[in-house]
Amino acid sequence: MTKQSPAGTGDRELVCIACPMACRLTVVQAGQVVTVTGNRCPTGETYGREEILAPRRMVTAVVPTDSLDFPCAPVRTDRPIQRGLVQRLLHELYASTISLPVRQGQVLMDDFDGARVVFTRTLPPDDVPPVRLAGEPSAPITT
Amino acid sequence: MIRRQVDAVVVGGGSAGLAAALQMRAAGLSVAIVERDPFLGGILLQCIHSGFGLREFKEDLTGPEYAERFIRPVLASGIDVFLDATVVDISEEPHGRAVTALSRGLGVVRFSASVVVLAMGCRERNRGNVAIAGTRPAGVLTAGLAQRLVNIEGCIPGRNVVIVGSGDIGLIMARRLTLVGCTVRAVVEIQSYPSGSARNIVQCLNDNSIPLYLGHVVTRIEGRNRVEAVQVAPLEDGNAAPDAGFRIPCDTVLLSVGLIPENELSRAAGVPINDGTAGPWVDADLMTGAPGIFACGNVLHVHDLVDFVTEEARRCADRAVAFLQGEPKRRMLAVSPGANVRYVVPNACAPDRQNVFFLRPLVVKNDAVLEVRMGGREVKTRRFAHVQPSEMIRLALEQGSVPFPDEGTTAVLEVAIR
Repeated sequence: MTKQSPAGTGDRELVCIACPMACRLTVVQAGQVVTVTGNRCPTGETYGREEILAPRRMVTAVVPTDSLDFPCAPVRTDRPIQRGLVQRLLHELYASTISLPVRQGQVLMDDFDGARVVFTRTLPPDDVPPVRLAGEPSAPITT
Repeated sequence: MIRRQVDAVVVGGGSAGLAAALQMRAAGLSVAIVERDPFLGGILLQCIHSGFGLREFKEDLTGPEYAERFIRPVLASGIDVFLDATVVDISEEPHGRAVTALSRGLGVVRFSASVVVLAMGCRERNRGNVAIAGTRPAGVLTAGLAQRLVNIEGCIPGRNVVIVGSGDIGLIMARRLTLVGCTVRAVVEIQSYPSGSARNIVQCLNDNSIPLYLGHVVTRIEGRNRVEAVQVAPLEDGNAAPDAGFRIPCDTVLLSVGLIPENELSRAAGVPINDGTAGPWVDADLMTGAPGIFACGNVLHVHDLVDFVTEEARRCADRAVAFLQGEPKRRMLAVSPGANVRYVVPNACAPDRQNVFFLRPLVVKNDAVLEVRMGGREVKTRRFAHVQPSEMIRLALEQGSVPFPDEGTTAVLEVAIR
Protein backbone atom coordinates (compact mmCIF):
# COMPACT_ATOMS: atom_id res chain seq x y z
CA MET A 1 0.00 0.00 0.00
CA THR A 2 2.86 2.35 -0.62
CA LYS A 3 3.40 4.32 -3.77
CA GLN A 4 6.99 4.14 -4.86
CA SER A 5 9.05 7.27 -5.09
CA PRO A 6 12.80 7.92 -5.07
CA ALA A 7 14.41 7.56 -1.66
CA GLY A 8 14.70 10.78 0.29
CA THR A 9 12.10 12.80 -1.59
CA GLY A 10 8.48 12.91 -2.64
CA ASP A 11 5.07 11.75 -1.38
CA ARG A 12 4.12 8.40 0.01
CA GLU A 13 0.68 7.07 0.77
CA LEU A 14 0.74 4.96 3.92
CA VAL A 15 -1.83 3.22 6.07
CA CYS A 16 -1.16 3.94 9.73
CA ILE A 17 -0.79 0.73 11.72
CA ALA A 18 -0.66 2.36 15.14
CA CYS A 19 -4.28 1.43 15.86
CA PRO A 20 -7.27 -0.16 14.11
CA MET A 21 -8.50 3.22 12.83
CA ALA A 22 -6.04 2.64 9.97
CA CYS A 23 -5.79 6.31 8.96
CA ARG A 24 -4.73 6.86 5.37
CA LEU A 25 -1.63 9.03 5.64
CA THR A 26 0.10 11.18 3.07
CA VAL A 27 3.74 11.60 3.98
CA VAL A 28 5.84 14.22 2.24
CA GLN A 29 9.59 14.02 2.64
CA ALA A 30 12.17 16.66 1.83
CA GLY A 31 15.45 15.36 3.20
CA GLN A 32 15.07 14.91 6.95
CA VAL A 33 11.90 17.07 7.05
CA VAL A 34 8.83 14.86 6.96
CA THR A 35 5.27 16.20 6.90
CA VAL A 36 2.40 13.87 7.73
CA THR A 37 -1.25 14.56 6.89
CA GLY A 38 -4.38 12.42 7.17
CA ASN A 39 -3.58 11.29 10.72
CA ARG A 40 -6.27 11.67 13.36
CA CYS A 41 -3.95 11.57 16.36
CA PRO A 42 -0.33 12.40 17.29
CA THR A 43 0.65 8.72 17.18
CA GLY A 44 -0.12 8.73 13.48
CA GLU A 45 2.31 11.56 12.89
CA THR A 46 5.06 9.72 14.74
CA TYR A 47 4.29 6.54 12.81
CA GLY A 48 4.37 8.34 9.48
CA ARG A 49 7.70 10.00 10.18
CA GLU A 50 9.37 6.88 11.58
CA GLU A 51 8.04 4.69 8.80
CA ILE A 52 9.89 6.86 6.29
CA LEU A 53 13.07 7.46 8.25
CA ALA A 54 13.55 4.28 10.37
CA PRO A 55 10.62 1.85 10.52
CA ARG A 56 9.93 0.18 13.86
CA ARG A 57 7.70 -2.73 14.82
CA MET A 58 6.23 -4.10 18.00
CA VAL A 59 7.29 -7.74 18.34
CA THR A 60 5.24 -10.50 19.92
CA ALA A 61 6.28 -14.15 20.07
CA VAL A 62 6.15 -17.23 22.26
CA VAL A 63 9.09 -18.77 24.07
CA PRO A 64 9.32 -22.49 24.87
CA THR A 65 8.78 -23.50 28.51
CA ASP A 66 9.74 -26.55 30.56
CA SER A 67 6.04 -27.34 31.16
CA LEU A 68 3.99 -30.01 29.40
CA ASP A 69 0.67 -28.33 30.27
CA PHE A 70 1.74 -24.92 28.94
CA PRO A 71 4.51 -25.54 26.38
CA CYS A 72 4.94 -21.90 25.42
CA ALA A 73 4.66 -18.52 27.08
CA PRO A 74 3.72 -15.39 25.10
CA VAL A 75 6.03 -12.36 25.27
CA ARG A 76 6.17 -8.87 23.77
CA THR A 77 8.45 -5.91 23.44
CA ASP A 78 7.18 -3.01 25.53
CA ARG A 79 7.84 -0.63 22.63
CA PRO A 80 8.55 -0.98 18.91
CA ILE A 81 12.07 -1.96 17.89
CA GLN A 82 13.88 -1.31 14.59
CA ARG A 83 12.39 -3.49 11.91
CA GLY A 84 15.83 -4.72 10.87
CA LEU A 85 16.42 -6.19 14.34
CA VAL A 86 13.22 -8.25 14.53
CA GLN A 87 14.80 -11.48 13.25
CA ARG A 88 17.70 -11.23 15.67
CA LEU A 89 15.33 -10.84 18.61
CA LEU A 90 13.25 -13.80 17.45
CA HIS A 91 16.32 -16.03 17.20
CA GLU A 92 17.32 -15.11 20.75
CA LEU A 93 13.82 -15.84 22.03
CA TYR A 94 13.46 -19.17 20.23
CA ALA A 95 16.85 -20.31 21.53
CA SER A 96 15.82 -19.91 25.18
CA THR A 97 13.74 -22.18 27.43
CA ILE A 98 12.06 -20.65 30.44
CA SER A 99 10.76 -22.19 33.65
CA LEU A 100 7.22 -21.68 34.87
CA PRO A 101 5.67 -20.05 36.79
CA VAL A 102 5.79 -16.64 35.14
CA ARG A 103 3.60 -13.63 35.78
CA GLN A 104 2.26 -11.14 33.28
CA GLY A 105 4.59 -8.14 33.14
CA GLN A 106 7.61 -10.14 34.40
CA VAL A 107 10.74 -9.11 32.50
CA LEU A 108 12.49 -11.66 30.28
CA MET A 109 15.03 -9.30 28.64
CA ASP A 110 16.01 -5.96 30.11
CA ASP A 111 17.24 -4.15 27.07
CA PHE A 112 16.92 -5.11 23.43
CA ASP A 113 17.32 -2.06 21.22
CA GLY A 114 16.02 0.00 24.13
CA ALA A 115 12.97 -2.19 24.62
CA ARG A 116 12.16 -4.60 27.41
CA VAL A 117 10.76 -8.03 26.60
CA VAL A 118 8.03 -9.02 29.05
CA PHE A 119 5.69 -11.97 29.53
CA THR A 120 2.10 -11.23 28.57
CA ARG A 121 0.32 -14.13 30.26
CA THR A 122 0.45 -15.51 33.79
CA LEU A 123 1.32 -19.22 33.53
CA PRO A 124 0.05 -21.40 34.98
CA PRO A 125 -3.09 -19.24 35.24
CA ASP A 126 -4.21 -18.15 38.72
CA ASP A 127 -6.51 -20.69 40.35
CA VAL A 128 -10.20 -19.89 40.44
CA PRO A 129 -11.70 -19.88 43.96
CA PRO A 130 -13.60 -23.08 44.84
CA VAL A 131 -17.21 -22.78 43.70
CA ARG A 132 -19.99 -22.53 46.25
CA LEU A 133 -22.75 -25.06 45.81
CA ALA A 134 -26.45 -25.36 46.69
CA GLY A 135 -27.74 -23.09 49.44
CA GLU A 136 -24.47 -21.29 50.16
CA PRO A 137 -24.72 -17.54 49.86
CA SER A 138 -22.59 -15.60 47.42
CA ALA A 139 -19.58 -13.80 48.83
CA PRO A 140 -20.11 -10.12 49.65
CA ILE A 141 -18.89 -7.68 47.02
CA THR A 142 -15.40 -6.55 47.80
CA THR A 143 -14.85 -3.94 45.11
CA MET B 1 -26.54 -33.64 40.32
CA ILE B 2 -25.43 -30.37 41.90
CA ARG B 3 -27.82 -27.42 42.11
CA ARG B 4 -26.94 -23.76 42.34
CA GLN B 5 -29.21 -20.74 42.57
CA VAL B 6 -27.86 -17.45 41.16
CA ASP B 7 -29.22 -14.20 39.78
CA ALA B 8 -27.31 -14.55 36.52
CA VAL B 9 -25.56 -17.30 34.58
CA VAL B 10 -23.04 -16.17 31.96
CA VAL B 11 -22.40 -18.81 29.29
CA GLY B 12 -18.77 -18.41 28.20
CA GLY B 13 -15.71 -16.91 29.93
CA GLY B 14 -14.17 -15.01 27.03
CA SER B 15 -14.05 -11.25 26.53
CA ALA B 16 -17.84 -10.79 26.43
CA GLY B 17 -18.60 -13.12 29.33
CA LEU B 18 -15.92 -11.66 31.60
CA ALA B 19 -17.03 -8.05 31.08
CA ALA B 20 -20.73 -8.88 31.44
CA ALA B 21 -20.16 -10.91 34.61
CA LEU B 22 -18.07 -8.17 36.25
CA GLN B 23 -20.61 -5.51 35.42
CA MET B 24 -23.52 -7.51 36.87
CA ARG B 25 -21.50 -8.43 39.95
CA ALA B 26 -20.66 -4.76 40.52
CA ALA B 27 -24.42 -4.07 40.57
CA GLY B 28 -24.78 -6.59 43.41
CA LEU B 29 -25.99 -9.69 41.55
CA SER B 30 -24.83 -13.20 42.30
CA VAL B 31 -23.19 -14.40 39.10
CA ALA B 32 -21.82 -17.69 37.76
CA ILE B 33 -19.60 -17.99 34.68
CA VAL B 34 -19.62 -21.37 32.94
CA GLU B 35 -16.57 -21.89 30.71
CA ARG B 36 -15.83 -24.90 28.51
CA ASP B 37 -12.03 -24.49 28.57
CA PRO B 38 -9.94 -25.15 31.71
CA PHE B 39 -9.10 -21.43 31.93
CA LEU B 40 -10.78 -18.05 31.47
CA GLY B 41 -9.99 -15.68 28.60
CA GLY B 42 -11.40 -17.35 25.50
CA ILE B 43 -9.86 -16.63 22.14
CA LEU B 44 -7.85 -13.66 23.49
CA LEU B 45 -5.32 -16.09 24.96
CA GLN B 46 -4.18 -17.28 21.54
CA CYS B 47 -4.14 -13.75 20.08
CA ILE B 48 -0.62 -12.97 21.32
CA HIS B 49 -0.24 -10.00 18.94
CA SER B 50 -0.81 -6.43 20.09
CA GLY B 51 -3.48 -3.94 19.08
CA PHE B 52 -6.06 -4.68 21.76
CA GLY B 53 -7.36 -2.19 24.30
CA LEU B 54 -6.51 1.06 22.51
CA ARG B 55 -10.07 2.24 23.00
CA GLU B 56 -10.85 0.61 26.34
CA PHE B 57 -7.57 1.21 28.18
CA LYS B 58 -5.81 3.74 25.91
CA GLU B 59 -2.96 1.21 25.80
CA ASP B 60 -1.69 -1.16 23.14
CA LEU B 61 -2.17 -4.58 24.74
CA THR B 62 -1.78 -8.15 23.55
CA GLY B 63 -4.72 -10.55 23.80
CA PRO B 64 -3.53 -12.30 26.98
CA GLU B 65 -2.85 -8.93 28.64
CA TYR B 66 -6.32 -7.70 27.74
CA ALA B 67 -7.85 -10.91 29.10
CA GLU B 68 -5.99 -10.68 32.41
CA ARG B 69 -7.30 -7.13 32.92
CA PHE B 70 -10.68 -8.84 33.36
CA ILE B 71 -9.69 -12.24 34.78
CA ARG B 72 -7.99 -10.79 37.86
CA PRO B 73 -11.02 -8.74 38.99
CA VAL B 74 -13.35 -11.64 38.20
CA LEU B 75 -11.35 -13.95 40.47
CA ALA B 76 -11.39 -11.34 43.25
CA SER B 77 -15.06 -10.39 42.94
CA GLY B 78 -16.89 -13.41 44.29
CA ILE B 79 -18.16 -14.50 40.91
CA ASP B 80 -18.51 -18.29 40.76
CA VAL B 81 -16.35 -19.62 37.95
CA PHE B 82 -17.04 -23.12 36.63
CA LEU B 83 -14.16 -24.19 34.36
CA ASP B 84 -14.06 -27.29 32.20
CA ALA B 85 -17.85 -27.11 32.21
CA THR B 86 -20.05 -27.10 29.12
CA VAL B 87 -23.59 -25.76 29.10
CA VAL B 88 -25.78 -28.28 27.31
CA ASP B 89 -29.28 -26.94 27.90
CA ILE B 90 -31.16 -23.76 28.76
CA SER B 91 -34.84 -24.24 29.56
CA GLU B 92 -37.71 -22.31 31.07
CA GLU B 93 -38.53 -22.41 34.77
CA PRO B 94 -41.39 -20.71 36.65
CA HIS B 95 -39.14 -17.85 37.84
CA GLY B 96 -36.42 -17.72 35.24
CA ARG B 97 -34.23 -20.23 33.46
CA ALA B 98 -32.65 -23.55 34.25
CA VAL B 99 -29.14 -23.88 32.85
CA THR B 100 -27.63 -27.38 32.77
CA ALA B 101 -23.87 -27.82 32.49
CA LEU B 102 -21.62 -30.87 32.37
CA SER B 103 -18.53 -30.30 34.48
CA ARG B 104 -15.43 -32.45 34.40
CA GLY B 105 -14.96 -32.17 38.15
CA LEU B 106 -18.52 -31.82 39.45
CA GLY B 107 -20.65 -33.86 37.06
CA VAL B 108 -24.03 -32.41 36.17
CA VAL B 109 -24.56 -28.90 37.51
CA ARG B 110 -28.01 -27.34 37.28
CA PHE B 111 -28.33 -23.59 37.76
CA SER B 112 -31.55 -21.74 38.49
CA ALA B 113 -31.09 -18.19 37.27
CA SER B 114 -33.25 -15.14 36.76
CA VAL B 115 -31.24 -14.02 33.74
CA VAL B 116 -28.91 -15.75 31.32
CA VAL B 117 -26.26 -13.92 29.29
CA LEU B 118 -25.18 -15.73 26.13
CA ALA B 119 -21.46 -15.09 25.50
CA MET B 120 -20.36 -18.20 23.63
CA GLY B 121 -18.46 -16.41 20.86
CA CYS B 122 -18.18 -17.79 17.37
CA ARG B 123 -16.68 -20.60 15.31
CA GLU B 124 -14.64 -20.59 12.15
CA ARG B 125 -16.09 -21.53 8.82
CA ASN B 126 -14.24 -24.57 7.52
CA ARG B 127 -13.57 -26.40 4.27
CA GLY B 128 -17.10 -27.82 4.19
CA ASN B 129 -18.57 -24.31 4.37
CA VAL B 130 -16.66 -23.09 1.32
CA ALA B 131 -16.67 -26.34 -0.66
CA ILE B 132 -13.15 -26.51 -2.12
CA ALA B 133 -12.75 -29.38 -4.60
CA GLY B 134 -9.89 -31.85 -4.59
CA THR B 135 -8.48 -34.58 -2.40
CA ARG B 136 -8.73 -34.65 1.39
CA PRO B 137 -5.13 -34.77 2.58
CA ALA B 138 -3.73 -33.76 5.97
CA GLY B 139 -2.61 -30.15 6.20
CA VAL B 140 -5.89 -28.29 5.66
CA LEU B 141 -6.90 -26.39 8.77
CA THR B 142 -8.60 -23.21 9.87
CA ALA B 143 -6.47 -20.16 10.65
CA GLY B 144 -7.67 -19.98 14.25
CA LEU B 145 -6.73 -23.61 14.84
CA ALA B 146 -3.27 -22.90 13.43
CA GLN B 147 -3.06 -19.91 15.78
CA ARG B 148 -3.85 -22.13 18.74
CA LEU B 149 -1.26 -24.69 17.65
CA VAL B 150 1.49 -22.11 17.21
CA ASN B 151 0.76 -19.83 20.17
CA ILE B 152 -0.61 -22.18 22.83
CA GLU B 153 0.49 -25.73 21.98
CA GLY B 154 3.87 -24.75 20.55
CA CYS B 155 3.49 -26.72 17.28
CA ILE B 156 4.13 -25.47 13.75
CA PRO B 157 1.51 -26.92 11.38
CA GLY B 158 3.59 -26.91 8.17
CA ARG B 159 6.40 -25.27 6.21
CA ASN B 160 4.96 -23.87 2.98
CA VAL B 161 1.60 -22.31 3.47
CA VAL B 162 -1.20 -20.94 1.31
CA ILE B 163 -3.90 -18.98 3.11
CA VAL B 164 -7.42 -18.97 1.70
CA GLY B 165 -9.33 -15.82 2.55
CA SER B 166 -7.96 -12.52 3.78
CA GLY B 167 -9.83 -12.25 7.08
CA ASP B 168 -7.92 -10.72 9.97
CA ILE B 169 -7.03 -14.06 11.56
CA GLY B 170 -5.58 -15.26 8.25
CA LEU B 171 -3.50 -12.10 7.89
CA ILE B 172 -2.28 -12.25 11.48
CA MET B 173 -1.32 -15.90 10.90
CA ALA B 174 0.50 -15.04 7.67
CA ARG B 175 2.83 -12.83 9.72
CA ARG B 176 2.99 -15.19 12.66
CA LEU B 177 3.94 -18.20 10.52
CA THR B 178 6.58 -16.13 8.71
CA LEU B 179 8.05 -15.19 12.09
CA VAL B 180 8.32 -18.84 13.12
CA GLY B 181 10.15 -19.71 9.92
CA CYS B 182 7.40 -20.86 7.55
CA THR B 183 7.07 -19.56 4.00
CA VAL B 184 3.66 -18.12 3.26
CA ARG B 185 3.35 -18.52 -0.51
CA ALA B 186 0.14 -16.57 -1.02
CA VAL B 187 -3.08 -15.23 0.43
CA VAL B 188 -5.98 -15.90 -1.95
CA GLU B 189 -9.11 -13.76 -1.60
CA ILE B 190 -12.27 -14.34 -3.65
CA GLN B 191 -13.48 -10.75 -3.31
CA SER B 192 -11.96 -7.81 -5.10
CA TYR B 193 -11.07 -6.17 -1.77
CA PRO B 194 -9.41 -7.58 1.37
CA SER B 195 -11.74 -8.90 4.06
CA GLY B 196 -9.30 -7.99 6.82
CA SER B 197 -8.37 -4.52 8.01
CA ALA B 198 -6.12 -2.26 5.95
CA ARG B 199 -3.74 -2.14 8.88
CA ASN B 200 -3.26 -5.90 8.83
CA ILE B 201 -2.67 -5.92 5.07
CA VAL B 202 0.19 -3.50 5.66
CA GLN B 203 1.81 -4.90 8.78
CA CYS B 204 1.23 -8.61 8.08
CA LEU B 205 1.47 -9.01 4.29
CA ASN B 206 3.39 -6.04 2.89
CA ASP B 207 5.96 -6.14 5.68
CA ASN B 208 6.77 -9.76 4.81
CA SER B 209 6.38 -9.46 1.02
CA ILE B 210 3.53 -11.99 0.96
CA PRO B 211 1.55 -11.88 -2.30
CA LEU B 212 -2.19 -11.16 -2.01
CA TYR B 213 -4.33 -12.42 -4.91
CA LEU B 214 -7.60 -10.47 -4.87
CA GLY B 215 -10.46 -11.74 -7.03
CA HIS B 216 -8.93 -15.23 -7.09
CA VAL B 217 -10.19 -18.59 -5.84
CA VAL B 218 -8.56 -21.85 -4.83
CA THR B 219 -10.22 -24.27 -7.24
CA ARG B 220 -8.57 -27.50 -6.08
CA ILE B 221 -6.47 -28.92 -3.29
CA GLU B 222 -3.94 -31.56 -4.44
CA GLY B 223 -2.11 -34.24 -2.47
CA ARG B 224 -2.52 -37.86 -1.40
CA ASN B 225 -1.53 -38.02 2.24
CA ARG B 226 -0.34 -34.47 2.77
CA VAL B 227 -1.25 -31.32 0.84
CA GLU B 228 1.08 -30.97 -2.18
CA ALA B 229 -0.31 -27.93 -3.98
CA VAL B 230 -3.35 -25.77 -4.62
CA GLN B 231 -4.76 -24.68 -7.96
CA VAL B 232 -5.66 -20.99 -8.07
CA ALA B 233 -7.74 -19.22 -10.73
CA PRO B 234 -8.83 -15.62 -11.23
CA LEU B 235 -12.52 -14.78 -11.26
CA GLU B 236 -13.97 -13.56 -14.53
CA ASP B 237 -17.59 -12.35 -14.37
CA GLY B 238 -18.01 -14.18 -11.08
CA ASN B 239 -16.73 -17.54 -12.34
CA ALA B 240 -13.33 -19.11 -11.95
CA ALA B 241 -11.29 -18.97 -15.17
CA PRO B 242 -9.12 -22.10 -14.94
CA ASP B 243 -7.34 -21.34 -18.22
CA ALA B 244 -5.79 -18.32 -16.56
CA GLY B 245 -5.05 -20.31 -13.42
CA PHE B 246 -1.80 -21.40 -11.84
CA ARG B 247 -0.53 -23.94 -9.31
CA ILE B 248 1.13 -23.11 -6.01
CA PRO B 249 3.11 -25.95 -4.38
CA CYS B 250 2.56 -26.02 -0.60
CA ASP B 251 2.14 -28.47 2.28
CA THR B 252 -0.41 -26.55 4.31
CA VAL B 253 -3.64 -24.70 3.54
CA LEU B 254 -5.08 -22.33 6.13
CA LEU B 255 -8.70 -21.26 5.82
CA SER B 256 -9.62 -17.78 6.98
CA VAL B 257 -13.04 -17.63 5.44
CA GLY B 258 -15.22 -16.10 8.08
CA LEU B 259 -16.70 -16.67 11.49
CA ILE B 260 -20.18 -17.81 12.47
CA PRO B 261 -21.74 -16.99 15.85
CA GLU B 262 -22.13 -20.20 17.83
CA ASN B 263 -25.84 -20.47 18.51
CA GLU B 264 -26.79 -24.15 18.75
CA LEU B 265 -27.54 -23.64 22.44
CA SER B 266 -29.54 -20.46 21.76
CA ARG B 267 -31.64 -22.15 19.07
CA ALA B 268 -32.41 -25.09 21.32
CA ALA B 269 -33.50 -22.61 24.01
CA GLY B 270 -36.02 -21.10 21.59
CA VAL B 271 -34.06 -17.92 20.87
CA PRO B 272 -34.98 -16.49 17.44
CA ILE B 273 -31.95 -15.97 15.17
CA ASN B 274 -31.37 -12.99 12.87
CA ASP B 275 -30.35 -14.10 9.35
CA GLY B 276 -28.22 -10.98 8.79
CA THR B 277 -25.85 -11.73 11.65
CA ALA B 278 -26.43 -15.46 12.37
CA GLY B 279 -26.74 -14.26 15.98
CA PRO B 280 -29.87 -13.82 18.10
CA TRP B 281 -32.38 -11.14 17.25
CA VAL B 282 -32.08 -8.61 20.12
CA ASP B 283 -34.11 -5.60 21.24
CA ALA B 284 -32.66 -2.27 22.42
CA ASP B 285 -31.80 -3.94 25.76
CA LEU B 286 -29.76 -6.63 23.96
CA MET B 287 -32.41 -9.08 25.17
CA THR B 288 -33.18 -11.91 22.79
CA GLY B 289 -36.69 -12.97 21.79
CA ALA B 290 -36.69 -15.25 24.85
CA PRO B 291 -37.40 -13.08 27.91
CA GLY B 292 -34.55 -13.05 30.42
CA ILE B 293 -31.98 -14.32 27.92
CA PHE B 294 -29.49 -11.66 26.78
CA ALA B 295 -26.63 -11.85 24.28
CA CYS B 296 -23.37 -9.97 23.68
CA GLY B 297 -20.04 -10.33 21.92
CA ASN B 298 -19.33 -12.58 18.97
CA VAL B 299 -22.28 -14.87 19.68
CA LEU B 300 -24.46 -11.87 18.78
CA HIS B 301 -22.48 -10.64 15.76
CA VAL B 302 -18.84 -11.00 14.78
CA HIS B 303 -16.82 -7.99 15.96
CA ASP B 304 -13.41 -6.84 14.66
CA LEU B 305 -12.39 -5.13 17.91
CA VAL B 306 -12.48 -6.65 21.37
CA ASP B 307 -12.89 -3.17 22.81
CA PHE B 308 -16.32 -3.03 21.19
CA VAL B 309 -17.13 -6.47 22.63
CA THR B 310 -16.36 -5.19 26.11
CA GLU B 311 -18.48 -2.10 25.60
CA GLU B 312 -21.40 -4.16 24.29
CA ALA B 313 -21.10 -6.72 27.12
CA ARG B 314 -21.28 -3.99 29.76
CA ARG B 315 -24.32 -2.46 28.12
CA CYS B 316 -25.92 -5.89 27.97
CA ALA B 317 -25.16 -6.47 31.65
CA ASP B 318 -26.68 -3.11 32.65
CA ARG B 319 -29.91 -4.03 30.86
CA ALA B 320 -29.95 -7.51 32.40
CA VAL B 321 -29.66 -5.89 35.85
CA ALA B 322 -32.53 -3.52 35.05
CA PHE B 323 -34.63 -6.47 33.86
CA LEU B 324 -33.91 -8.37 37.06
CA GLN B 325 -34.85 -5.32 39.14
CA GLY B 326 -38.21 -5.23 37.40
CA GLU B 327 -37.67 -2.00 35.48
CA PRO B 328 -40.62 -1.55 33.11
CA LYS B 329 -39.94 -2.23 29.45
CA ARG B 330 -39.32 0.93 27.43
CA ARG B 331 -41.09 1.75 24.23
CA MET B 332 -39.01 0.56 21.31
CA LEU B 333 -39.08 0.80 17.56
CA ALA B 334 -37.58 -1.60 15.07
CA VAL B 335 -34.23 -0.86 13.41
CA SER B 336 -33.46 -2.20 9.97
CA PRO B 337 -30.48 -2.13 7.62
CA GLY B 338 -31.05 0.04 4.53
CA ALA B 339 -29.02 0.46 1.35
CA ASN B 340 -25.41 -0.80 1.51
CA VAL B 341 -25.68 -1.98 5.11
CA ARG B 342 -25.40 -5.69 5.87
CA TYR B 343 -26.73 -5.53 9.40
CA VAL B 344 -27.39 -3.26 12.35
CA VAL B 345 -27.29 -4.49 15.97
CA PRO B 346 -29.38 -4.19 18.11
CA ASN B 347 -32.53 -4.68 16.06
CA ALA B 348 -34.54 -2.13 18.04
CA CYS B 349 -34.09 1.31 19.50
CA ALA B 350 -35.40 2.91 22.72
CA PRO B 351 -35.87 6.62 21.90
CA ASP B 352 -35.95 7.78 25.55
CA ARG B 353 -32.26 7.04 26.11
CA GLN B 354 -28.96 6.94 24.24
CA ASN B 355 -28.72 4.10 21.72
CA VAL B 356 -25.46 2.65 20.45
CA PHE B 357 -25.47 0.55 17.31
CA PHE B 358 -22.88 -1.52 15.54
CA LEU B 359 -23.29 -1.90 11.82
CA ARG B 360 -21.41 -3.46 8.98
CA PRO B 361 -21.23 -1.92 5.50
CA LEU B 362 -21.88 -4.06 2.42
CA VAL B 363 -19.63 -1.98 0.20
CA VAL B 364 -16.18 -0.46 -0.14
CA LYS B 365 -16.69 3.27 -0.61
CA ASN B 366 -14.83 6.56 -0.27
CA ASP B 367 -16.65 9.69 0.93
CA ALA B 368 -19.56 7.68 2.24
CA VAL B 369 -22.54 9.17 4.06
CA LEU B 370 -24.27 7.24 6.81
CA GLU B 371 -27.95 8.15 6.96
CA VAL B 372 -30.40 7.34 9.73
CA ARG B 373 -34.04 7.93 8.82
CA MET B 374 -37.39 7.28 10.42
CA GLY B 375 -40.27 7.25 7.97
CA GLY B 376 -39.40 10.18 5.74
CA ARG B 377 -37.52 12.06 8.45
CA GLU B 378 -33.80 12.38 8.69
CA VAL B 379 -32.53 11.54 12.19
CA LYS B 380 -28.78 11.74 11.70
CA THR B 381 -26.15 11.83 8.98
CA ARG B 382 -22.44 11.19 9.38
CA ARG B 383 -19.66 11.39 6.83
CA PHE B 384 -16.88 8.84 6.46
CA ALA B 385 -13.73 9.24 4.38
CA HIS B 386 -13.77 5.48 3.78
CA VAL B 387 -16.00 2.51 4.64
CA GLN B 388 -15.44 -1.18 3.97
CA PRO B 389 -17.15 -4.41 5.11
CA SER B 390 -14.21 -5.46 7.29
CA GLU B 391 -14.44 -2.33 9.40
CA MET B 392 -17.46 -2.25 11.67
CA ILE B 393 -19.04 1.14 12.37
CA ARG B 394 -20.14 2.31 15.81
CA LEU B 395 -23.09 4.67 15.74
CA ALA B 396 -24.39 6.49 18.82
CA LEU B 397 -27.75 8.25 18.78
CA GLU B 398 -28.11 10.57 21.75
CA GLN B 399 -31.22 10.61 23.92
CA GLY B 400 -33.89 12.71 22.25
CA SER B 401 -32.40 12.43 18.77
CA VAL B 402 -34.88 9.77 17.68
CA PRO B 403 -38.47 11.05 17.65
CA PHE B 404 -41.13 8.87 19.21
CA PRO B 405 -43.44 7.58 16.49
CA ASP B 406 -47.06 8.66 16.71
CA GLU B 407 -49.12 6.38 18.93
CA GLY B 408 -50.58 3.50 16.97
CA THR B 409 -48.20 3.79 14.02
CA THR B 410 -45.35 1.41 13.30
CA ALA B 411 -42.18 3.27 12.51
CA VAL B 412 -38.87 1.75 11.50
CA LEU B 413 -35.49 3.37 11.97
CA GLU B 414 -33.49 2.71 8.84
CA VAL B 415 -29.69 2.94 8.64
CA ALA B 416 -28.21 3.28 5.16
CA ILE B 417 -24.91 4.19 3.51
CA ARG B 418 -24.86 6.37 0.39
